[in-house]
Amino acid sequence: MCVTVVGAMFPMGTFAEERTSLKVGFDAEYPPYGYMDENGEYTGFDLELAKAVCELRGWELVKVPINWDSKDMELASGSIDCIWNGFTINGREDDYTWSVPYVDNSQVIVVSKKSGIEKLEDLAGKIVGVQAASAALQVLQDEEQQKDLADTFATLQEFSDYNSAFVELQAGSLDAIAMDIGVANYQIKTRDKGDQFVILEESLNSEQYGIGFKLGNTELCDQVNESLEELVEDGTFAELAEKYELTDMVCLTSDEAE
Amino acid sequence: MKLEMMISQMTAGMVKTIGIFAWTLIFSLPFGLLIAFGRMSKNKILSTIVKVYISIMRGTPLMLQLMVVFYGPYYLLGLNIGGSWRFIAIIIGFTLNYGAYFAEIFRSGIESMPVGQYEASKLLGYSSRQTFFLVILPQVIKRILPAVTNEIITLVKDTSLAFALAYMEMFTIAKQIAAANTTFLPFIIAAAFYYIFNLLVAMVMEMIEKKLSYYH
Repeated sequence: MCVTVVGAMFPMGTFAEERTSLKVGFDAEYPPYGYMDENGEYTGFDLELAKAVCELRGWELVKVPINWDSKDMELASGSIDCIWNGFTINGREDDYTWSVPYVDNSQVIVVSKKSGIEKLEDLAGKIVGVQAASAALQVLQDEEQQKDLADTFATLQEFSDYNSAFVELQAGSLDAIAMDIGVANYQIKTRDKGDQFVILEESLNSEQYGIGFKLGNTELCDQVNESLEELVEDGTFAELAEKYELTDMVCLTSDEAE
Repeated sequence: MKLEMMISQMTAGMVKTIGIFAWTLIFSLPFGLLIAFGRMSKNKILSTIVKVYISIMRGTPLMLQLMVVFYGPYYLLGLNIGGSWRFIAIIIGFTLNYGAYFAEIFRSGIESMPVGQYEASKLLGYSSRQTFFLVILPQVIKRILPAVTNEIITLVKDTSLAFALAYMEMFTIAKQIAAANTTFLPFIIAAAFYYIFNLLVAMVMEMIEKKLSYYH
């Protein structure tokens, strides 16, 4: 017991000169892209994709769960090599070195069926929740996008994780949640009484996911892009998309990749 | 996720929680005593510096202090932080913060000792070092135990602040399980874990108190 306790207290670090590992930063509360599975292992579409890339490259995949609010500090300080977790490119184009986009995403509004909210206009005077530091928040604050809509809300309530946001929606302290469609689908599918929620047909925007590297780290980015292309060619990418029911959303196909 | 799996994952997290707790106690108690000496020093410069230190540690949130310790080396010195620094930063952050609180508890105990005891010890030929360690400190420990117990119990609950640095202690894991399974059950388990652990802490502290009350 003593030995295991001491072992857990001093996790060993990895100090690599030549790249032998890839430290992937992700939000472990973000299914289906990154989350903890039945066996307590971190998994998800993005993490399995990262694993496949690492296998091609002969790198060891180091999964680093991060606090989403601190992602920039984690990346800048080198405690992670990239952010790979349903990471929206749009609006952050100049902040990171981006991989090729691999998922077409849209930001949507989730409401309770009995709320009577059917269109975006119906949200006027309502309390809308959005994750702190998320792409949905950015869309709602951008004057060229949905700032005008957000101004009609009674409150734009920021929360830290989707689980409590959905409980608030269920309990009535939120009227709607602005979030990524992939995550919304997962919540509605897995949540107890999830069928009482509905995604509004009108979406807030359409955007793309990519892997974010530290600005200027094109070397690593190119390597990952190259491996991604290979995975698209050999069908691994499509298989993973199917496994996580994201086939409609992924935007890399072997025809496009050539 | 099955209930047993949840509990076993959270138990693994609890080991890390206890890790933060134990290392913080080991370092912050002696550190607190040193700070208390500094605070009571006759050297005006030293005691002022220590006073400012305690004021900052008590006046800013622990979560913020943890972030400063963890990210500071990168932003101030450009060092690459990775690997085990996350854990070390947490222990340093907790120790600096709890040391300040313990220092004030120690000071309250030391300053409550009547001057007569120092005078008597001097007459009996004790050096000032002997006086402190053989006469004063044992009595101080007895007096401050209830206040220290308070602080230790708070520490158990404060370990959850390590989530700010994405350290996989028990509560962080509870949140992740809750997210993946869209349930609140892990939070109920977390509450039970904290409560049981604090119950043990309180029992141990009570035993120590009883053991030390040899003149009553």
